[in-house]
Amino acid sequence: MVFGKRGNLDLLVAVDAGAEQLGLATGLALAQARAMHPTLTAVPEDQAADARLLDAMADWCQRYTPLLATDPPDGILLDIGGCAHLFGGEEKLRDDLLARVTGFGFSARAAIAASIGAASAAARFGAAAATATDHERDLLAPLPLAALRLSSDTVAALARVGLKRIGDILDLPRAPLAARFGAEFLRMLDRALTREHEPLTPRLPVAPYIAEKNFHEPIAREADVLATVERLAMRLKTALAARGDGARRLELALFRTDGAVKRIAAGTSRPVRDPQAIRALFVERLAALGDEIDPGFGFDLARLSVLTAEPCPDEQIGFGGHEDQAEIDRLVDRLSARLGRRRVSRLIAHDSHIPEFAAAALPAQATARAELGWEAFRRFRIQAELSPRPLRFLARPEPIEDVFALVPDGPPVRFRWRRALHEVIAVEGPERIEGAWWNEEGGPARDYFRVEDKAGLRFWLFRAGLYRDMARGQPPPRWFLHGMYA
Amino acid sequence: MAAPARRPSVSSSAGMPAALDRLRRELCAAEAATGLTSAGGAALALGIPAIDGVLGGGLSCGALHEIVAAHETETAAATGFALALAARRAFPSCRGLARIAEKNVLWIAEDLSLAENGAPYGPGLDGAGIAPERLITVAAGRGRDVLWAMEEALRCRAVGVVIGEMRSRGIDQVMTRRLALAAAAGDTLGLLLRTTPHDEPSAAATRWIIGAAPSFLRSQGGDERAQGLGPPRLAARLVRNRRGHLGAWIVEWNSVEQRFELTTHSEPVAGAACDRPHRAAVA
Repeated sequence: MVFGKRGNLDLLVAVDAGAEQLGLATGLALAQARAMHPTLTAVPEDQAADARLLDAMADWCQRYTPLLATDPPDGILLDIGGCAHLFGGEEKLRDDLLARVTGFGFSARAAIAASIGAASAAARFGAAAATATDHERDLLAPLPLAALRLSSDTVAALARVGLKRIGDILDLPRAPLAARFGAEFLRMLDRALTREHEPLTPRLPVAPYIAEKNFHEPIAREADVLATVERLAMRLKTALAARGDGARRLELALFRTDGAVKRIAAGTSRPVRDPQAIRALFVERLAALGDEIDPGFGFDLARLSVLTAEPCPDEQIGFGGHEDQAEIDRLVDRLSARLGRRRVSRLIAHDSHIPEFAAAALPAQATARAELGWEAFRRFRIQAELSPRPLRFLARPEPIEDVFALVPDGPPVRFRWRRALHEVIAVEGPERIEGAWWNEEGGPARDYFRVEDKAGLRFWLFRAGLYRDMARGQPPPRWFLHGMYA
Repeated sequence: MAAPARRPSVSSSAGMPAALDRLRRELCAAEAATGLTSAGGAALALGIPAIDGVLGGGLSCGALHEIVAAHETETAAATGFALALAARRAFPSCRGLARIAEKNVLWIAEDLSLAENGAPYGPGLDGAGIAPERLITVAAGRGRDVLWAMEEALRCRAVGVVIGEMRSRGIDQVMTRRLALAAAAGDTLGLLLRTTPHDEPSAAATRWIIGAAPSFLRSQGGDERAQGLGPPRLAARLVRNRRGHLGAWIVEWNSVEQRFELTTHSEPVAGAACDRPHRAAVA
C-alpha cells in the first residue's frame, strides 16, 4: 500500500488487492492501518513519478487517438470519435486498450460515454468496463455524487441534506440547487448529461497531417524505420499536395512494444513534401541520436505527423538562383537535424550601438527568407564612418590587467591579457559608446580603442567608466578586451 | 588534362630544364586522376603575381587548403586570411558587378575554438568584405562534427566556400582526403582553419602558416602611436604546395578593392634546384 500526507495526516492513498481483502481502503489513516496489520509494507507516495507515469501512459495511448488529455491523478481521457472504426468499433478498441494495459501489469478500468463527465464517472465509480452511449441518465443515476467530479465540500453538503446518488438530484428543481450549492455543481451535472458541451483540451497539439503504420511483427532496424518514414511521407505527400501545404516541422513517433514512445522531431527551413527529403532529415536525426533510440524488442507502430505546415508553392524548375537557395535550405536542414537547430545560424543586424547587441545569431532555419538587416547596417556604417569592427568577437569581454596609460583616460601603452604582456605600438580611438539614456543596458560609458601590439596583433579594447568619475563616487574604471582584428 | 595550362611561369623563373617541366605535367595529370583536385576547376588568384605564379595561377577552387595560425594568439590573422580568400571567391561582385553571382559561405567551428578565439562578428565581417547575409555559421560540439559538417557542405554546389575551424588535433590523411574529394565533387573551396601548427600528413592542396605582421604606418617615424593602424598585414608562409614552389611573403589585405597587395619582395624558401624542398628547410 502507498501512503501520503493529506492535511496533517498520513493517509493511505493506494492499496493493492491483497490489502483490500484485509479490509484496508484508501483514506484510512496510516497509523490505524499499521495498528490493524503491523506486518504491512507501506511505501511513501511519489507524486512526481506518478505524474511521469501518467504522461508516459498518455503517450502510449496516442496510438488510439491523437486527441487525448490526462485527467490527474490517475485518468486519461481519449476522444475516440472518428477513430474507433479503425479498431473494429468502440468496444473492440476498449477491449484492446484494456488488454494491453493489463498486459503491462496495471489494473485499469475504462468506460465509453458521450461526455467526459459521464465517462469519467462510469470508469471510476461504475461497473468495470461499462459502456454507455446515449444512456447517460441511466448510467449515472445509481452512481454516488462524488462521481460528478465535485469538490469534497459540496459532496459533504449534499450528503447532509440526504442527497447521495446522482439519481437523487436529477429531477429536483434546478434553481434552489444552484442557489444552495453553486452554479458549478449544476454545470458539472449538465456536462455529464451532455446538456452542455465540455471541450477536451488535448495534451499535445493535434497535428494537421498524420500518417501511421501498424506492424504485426515489431521492427527494430534503423533501415526499416527509415523505409517506414519514407512510406509514411509518401502518404503525407498526397494529403499535403491536396491542400497545397508543405511540412515545416515533423515528428516521428515510434511506439515500442513495451509501451514506451520515442518522439523524434525534425525541422525544415522551407515547406517540403518530398518523401526523399523527409527521409534524409530523419537519417540525420537518427544518426545524431545514435544509441538513444533503443528499439528494445521493437516498435509496433510508427506515426509521422506534420506539426507545422505552411503553404508550399509548387516546385519550380529552372531559374538558377532558386535552385541554389533550395540546395542551401536542404543543407541547412541536414546540418540542423544532426547538430541541433540552434547550432546552425545566420547573423542578423540589430539597430543598436552597443557592440554585443549590434549583431545576433538566429537559427538559420527560422531566418531562411527573413530580412537580416545588413543593408541598413551597411548604409549606417558608411554614413557614420564607423571605425572598423573586429572579425572575431568575444561574447563576454575579457578583463585585461596591468593596463598602463600615459594619461588617466587615454589609450593604453601596455596591457596583460591571458597572462601575456602586449606592448601597444599603434592606437586608434577612443570611440565612445554609451547605452541609451532610457535604460541601463550596456553599463557605464565605454571608450573603445583599436590597438596594435609589437607583434602585429590587433585588438579591440575598451575602458568601462572614466577616471574623472571616480571623484563622484563611481567605481574605478576597468579595462576589457572585446575582439580581435585580422 | 587542363592542369599544365594553368601553370605558365614557374619554370622560367626558376630556370629549370624542360625535363622537370615535363615531370611536373605528369604529376599534375596523375593527381587529377586521383580526384583530389577537380580537373576543370578554376583557380582563385590572390592578385599577387609572385604568389599566383608559385600556385600555378592561383589556389585551385575545388580543393582543400589548410590555413594554420602561427600561434594560437594569431588565430585572428589566420581567420582574416581565410575570410579574404572567401571574399575573393564568394563575392567577386563586390568589385563592381551586380550581386547575382554571390555564393554562400559556411563557417563551421568547434565550440571550444569559438569560446577561446571569439565568434564571427557580423559588423566586422561586413567591413572586411564578407556579406553577413551570405554567411551561415555552424557551431559543432566536437571535432568530428566539424569534419562531418564540412564534408556535407563541401559537396553542396550552392556553397562557394567552407571554412572549417578546428582546435583539436588528430586530423589524419584519410579525413583530409575525404574533405579534398568532397571539395572536388562540389567544386567548393575548402579552408581548414587550424589554431595551432601541426605537422600532420594531409591531403590538402596547400598549407599556409599565417601570422600577424606589424602594419606599415609604424616604420614611418615620428610619433608612432599617433599614426593609427594600417590595413591588416599578414605574414604568410606557404609550407606545402602540391603544385610547385614554397615561399614566404608579407601581404596586405585591401578590403575595399578586395585584393591582396605585396609589401616586400618575396623571400623564397625553396631551393632553386628542386621542385620540392627538403622538409627541414620548410619547418
